[in-house]
Amino acid sequence: MSNFSIPGSQSTPAIDGDWDHGTLSMQGDSYPENSYELFQQVFSWVERFLLEAGRPLTLELRLLYLNTSSIKAMMDILDLLEEAHHDGKPVAVNWRYDPRNERVAELAEEFKEDCTFPFAIVALDSAASAS
Amino acid sequence: MEPFDLFSMRESYNRQQIMLCFNGPISRSLIEEIGNALRNYLAADHAHPSSAMDVFGVYIELTQNIRHYAQQKGWTETDASATVVVARNDAGHYVVSAGNIIEQADGEALLACIDELAGLDKAALKARYKEQLRKPREAEAASGAGLGLIDIARKSSAPLQGSLRQLTDGRAFVSLRAEI
Repeated sequence: MSNFSIPGSQSTPAIDGDWDHGTLSMQGDSYPENSYELFQQVFSWVERFLLEAGRPLTLELRLLYLNTSSIKAMMDILDLLEEAHHDGKPVAVNWRYDPRNERVAELAEEFKEDCTFPFAIVALDSAASAS
Repeated sequence: MEPFDLFSMRESYNRQQIMLCFNGPISRSLIEEIGNALRNYLAADHAHPSSAMDVFGVYIELTQNIRHYAQQKGWTETDASATVVVARNDAGHYVVSAGNIIEQADGEALLACIDELAGLDKAALKARYKEQLRKPREAEAASGAGLGLIDIARKSSAPLQGSLRQLTDGRAFVSLRAEI
């Protein structure tokens, strides 16, 4: 119905929401000065998808460095997914990372701690053979 | 005007292993550009990717905090001045320092917060971080300043250090130092 796309920049991730496929992808670094402005649009899209689409939603993430305000915004989005999960809606996160940088896996791991829905953290090398 | 002794400046930067320093009004794009240069230096210095990310992250949180503070106070762009130094110490650790003008009372509160964080181990810092993450956005304005400090403390290998130099008009210069 309504796709959604924001090109990436040095300090903001490339974001793509695909309504028909039920995927939201985000990749790159995220450290804008005002993360709230950027992520508010993502939040609204996810909120609307979960309310109207009636289909599973998967977040495909290849995020790298996130500043603390991006982390807070990301957590708000994951909270939406958690709520949907409790309402019986199928949601999932796949977070792929380069194993040479363990910080990214640690960041993903800390998000995962607060989520009870399927949340996969996949090292990129093994990602190809696993999927 | 007294001529600059660039050679002695260079000598002192080299002696103190300063990779990068900046002084002046800091804009959003300047933070990004200096950050870019920092990343390149760290790559050229063969920093491990995770430690390069920690140094970059600490730099971003410190400088964005300075911008957020000036905005919160309604100060002009020129008032959002920062003094930033990234160096290596003798043990080979990266050290990120940043200083800015702040109201004396805010500076004292900031130092108290740093002292408190210094007493927490990694597990306690993580708990504090998660707790702060769950606080409503309004509780800390647009900035996430509290969260930023905890994040810096978590990325540091030694307790954060801060100092305050009193100026006139109830203002002070605050310096923060994080060793990664």
